[in-house]
Amino acid sequence: MLRRFVAATALGIAIALLLVSTLTAQTNYKVPRLPDGHPDFQGFWNNTTYTPLERPKGIDREFFTKEEVLEQMKRAAAEEGEQTTPGTIADVHYDFTQFGLDRSQAPVAVNLRTSLIVDPPDGHLPPMTEEGKRLNAARAEARKRAGAITDAAQNQPLSVRCILMDRDGPPMLAGAYNNNYQIVQAPDTVMVLVEMLHSPRIIPTNARPALPASIRQIEGSSRGRWDGDTLVIETTNFTDMFMFAAQGASADMKLTERFTRISDDTLMYRFTVDDPKVWTRPWSAEVPWKKSIGPIFEHACHEGNYSLTNLLRGAREDEKRAREGKGRP
Amino acid sequence: MRTTFAVIVALVAWLMAAPLVAHHAFSSEFDINKPLKLTGTLTKWEMINPHSWFHMDIKQPDGTIVPWLVEGGSPNQLIRLGVTKNTLKVGTEFTIEGYQARDGTNKAVGRNFILADGSRYLFGGSAPGAGGADK
Repeated sequence: MLRRFVAATALGIAIALLLVSTLTAQTNYKVPRLPDGHPDFQGFWNNTTYTPLERPKGIDREFFTKEEVLEQMKRAAAEEGEQTTPGTIADVHYDFTQFGLDRSQAPVAVNLRTSLIVDPPDGHLPPMTEEGKRLNAARAEARKRAGAITDAAQNQPLSVRCILMDRDGPPMLAGAYNNNYQIVQAPDTVMVLVEMLHSPRIIPTNARPALPASIRQIEGSSRGRWDGDTLVIETTNFTDMFMFAAQGASADMKLTERFTRISDDTLMYRFTVDDPKVWTRPWSAEVPWKKSIGPIFEHACHEGNYSLTNLLRGAREDEKRAREGKGRP
Repeated sequence: MRTTFAVIVALVAWLMAAPLVAHHAFSSEFDINKPLKLTGTLTKWEMINPHSWFHMDIKQPDGTIVPWLVEGGSPNQLIRLGVTKNTLKVGTEFTIEGYQARDGTNKAVGRNFILADGSRYLFGGSAPGAGGADK
């Protein structure tokens, strides 16, 4: 039953991908417009991807062929649907497939690129500056001083504490599942509702002045404008707790996101990170967003109800057993 | 199409670079050395994010009933696929294979949800239009 299910789903993906790639091949695509004349991006989108941010070692080209990608995505769908081996760390988890959370059960846009990073052309993050290395070493030291992540709830990452996820960003990057977004446009504002943690990004597009540099926010301060048929969003004023710190970025990062609709089914999301404190040059990545199905269901995150308690109590139990000489840590 | 060994290695590296990642460290919450198999009756399904919690009554060999809490996946994708609380009704009997909480209480992660006929309960696959599964 499982194999049939996976095979049927994988076939569905293959067909969907072929359809998408056919659409993206259209060069005469006419973007639908709203009454105010701007392109219509409204609706539901999904940025699930199989493509890593950086190009893995051993790959020296920018693109795979369509056949290679389709074959590998079918293989990945089958692998994600397979059972894990009992007694392994990977097995201590619920089955993604049973809960519809493997990538084969989400809309996935075709991406022939070997990395999400498109610039530098080698698909890798640029070299880090000395100041960037010092900043990240200091962050690592501060985490070490705070103790283990199971020492206190506050030591758990923001994502586990249901405060902010990688899907929120910005920049908005997919996780394993729940990668849906809803875009709503008004003449002077664009709203991007992020499914996971249910946070809306409300972005003025009416030339509202940027916040003063002294006012910092965990998701920064975003201002939008139209560059032809592309929506450009510039974000600054981050705090040091923002999500992209995990990639090494500083709170002084300037982020430029660009949305362009390239087919009925595909919204191209490109972002540029300009952070001279950390990287020797700006870098850019590109992620196609695939049209999804609405509505977006509320994602009120309740990790504190059970799991956080279980994590902390589990660690205390381990410590007690260790004191009694019965096991880890 | 002829695929060279180098291309296969490169593609595998590519796929391995973007794996599925859990929301939190499950092996810190549940004990790999405490695998278990529980058969019981669903008394309540908390469809909360990012993880569902299934309340089950487990019948002991002496006939007494012991309540357990079992962790499963995020309900958002299930709802998207058409699965609701009515799909898995209170009173349903099933078995879970999983691991017990590290703190030794009656909590577990449900690795597999198995119906009385022995089939794995595919929540996503059971939904209309979810991809051709027969459960």
